[in-house]
Amino acid sequence: MIRFEAVTHRQGGRAIVEDVSLEVPEGHLCVLLGASGAGKSTLLRMVNRLVAPAEGRVRLAGRDVAETPPEALRRGIGYVIQSVGLFPHWRVAENIATVPRLLGWPRPRIAARVEALLELVGLEPARFRHRFPHELSGGQAQRIGLARALAADPPVLLMDEPFSALDPATRRGLQAELRRIHRETGKTILFVTHDVEEALALADGLAVLEQGRLVAAGRPAALLAPGAAPRLGALFGEEGLAFHRLATLPARALARPGAPPPGTPALAPEATLKAALLRMLAEGAPCLALPPGPGFAGGVLHWVDLVRAAPVAAA
Amino acid sequence: MKAVAAQALAFLAALAAMPHSAPLWAALFPEVQRPLWESRGWFALLGWHLALALGAAALAALLGLGAAILATRGAGRRLRPVLDALFALAQAVPPVAVIALALPLLGFGAAPVLLALVLYAALPVLRAATAGLEAVPAPVRDAARGCGMGPLGMLWRVELPIALPVIRAGLRMAVVMAIATTAVGAIAGAECLGTPIVTGLANGNTAWVAQGALFTAWLALIAHRALRG
Repeated sequence: MIRFEAVTHRQGGRAIVEDVSLEVPEGHLCVLLGASGAGKSTLLRMVNRLVAPAEGRVRLAGRDVAETPPEALRRGIGYVIQSVGLFPHWRVAENIATVPRLLGWPRPRIAARVEALLELVGLEPARFRHRFPHELSGGQAQRIGLARALAADPPVLLMDEPFSALDPATRRGLQAELRRIHRETGKTILFVTHDVEEALALADGLAVLEQGRLVAAGRPAALLAPGAAPRLGALFGEEGLAFHRLATLPARALARPGAPPPGTPALAPEATLKAALLRMLAEGAPCLALPPGPGFAGGVLHWVDLVRAAPVAAA
Repeated sequence: MKAVAAQALAFLAALAAMPHSAPLWAALFPEVQRPLWESRGWFALLGWHLALALGAAALAALLGLGAAILATRGAGRRLRPVLDALFALAQAVPPVAVIALALPLLGFGAAPVLLALVLYAALPVLRAATAGLEAVPAPVRDAARGCGMGPLGMLWRVELPIALPVIRAGLRMAVVMAIATTAVGAIAGAECLGTPIVTGLANGNTAWVAQGALFTAWLALIAHRALRG
């Protein structure tokens, strides 16, 4: 869906993005991960032509983005930024309606769309429609920012550190919402963050940038497999690598078949090993029950298996 | 707003009462032979005064706003110090001097007065509009561009509305300055509330000077209060 073909961008002779090639398949949520100044945002902004690559090209659904006039291109791509950038002089409903209005949708269609989007991002339309941006909390504002980006139902969403300025609880809530919205809408999402946990919580695919270069790309589990990409150690922290790896593996992979002892806490069927570990710590439980699901007969996850498996779990 | 309306009413009532106030002025200025200004109707003077001042303020607004828009985007940014210096210089030259310099070119009447007032009042609009447009937060601009607004759409839908309160303050200042300064137009023969002042000075009639000054100052005060917002 989005394809970077050997793109390079320079500023004052210095390469901000250097020779990056990357493909984001349709419907995937791809996270661009890297430290500040690694070139993640620059790469993302090439997709909607807020940045023009000096070399290479970006294709969207097979078409070079440079061939579409920038305004028309941007109206077909959702864009969410860290500081939200809601229009302060417009009410929530008008903010959400920005792109549909630019596209000249009829009023009733816009009104219905605004209603549906407020529901989608979990804000009660009657309470929020008429508010001004300064009357919203940070988390609410970013929900509106997301609704605005989704307003014209674009197939692609660009999200530039959208949750980085929010407090941890709000951030986790919005990450869960984004996963749900991604599931429900099937959008192709390119998501920039410097937060490792956020990246692992969201990514179908992970692309790691370092000083403008793509150093690793692939499924999180594959990237974090032991020895797969030694350069990632610095970004994830050598010590924490094994822990982060747990976030990429499903808990059910290590479950032993059989019935759990009575009173064993149960885990959600699709939970990761990281979630399982945290749950064990929280409950003081040496094992967890995994309820049966499609293609899985149910079983019990044991602490000893988890601890032993962590360093080599993907092997 | 009520207080302003009451002041304006009092002002109009005083103007209407002027033709009947001869005894008052005779008492105040016993040495003046014809102490009451009667050569032109006071309402006609007020009408001309307002037309000159508001016309000049409107032109100054167009000029200042246009220059501010030019100076806050693209290649125009480099012009900003030049424009600012130019407008500051224009304001630094006293309107009386501008009128005097323009007389040979533009002749007597409203034209040199309009020129002087526009040059005088454009600076506050330029400064306010530049400040207002520059204060539009960068993320808001980024979001507007990302939503697919073109440069004109962004100016019209986002930048100008956000800058409007600051721009309005500059416009207010331009209007008040124009109303207060229009009186000097009388020296170029433009009819306005300054006409009794200039005629009075020429004829040694201090009563006329006082009457013109009273209404000019009063009008400027009302304008200031009305536009304080």
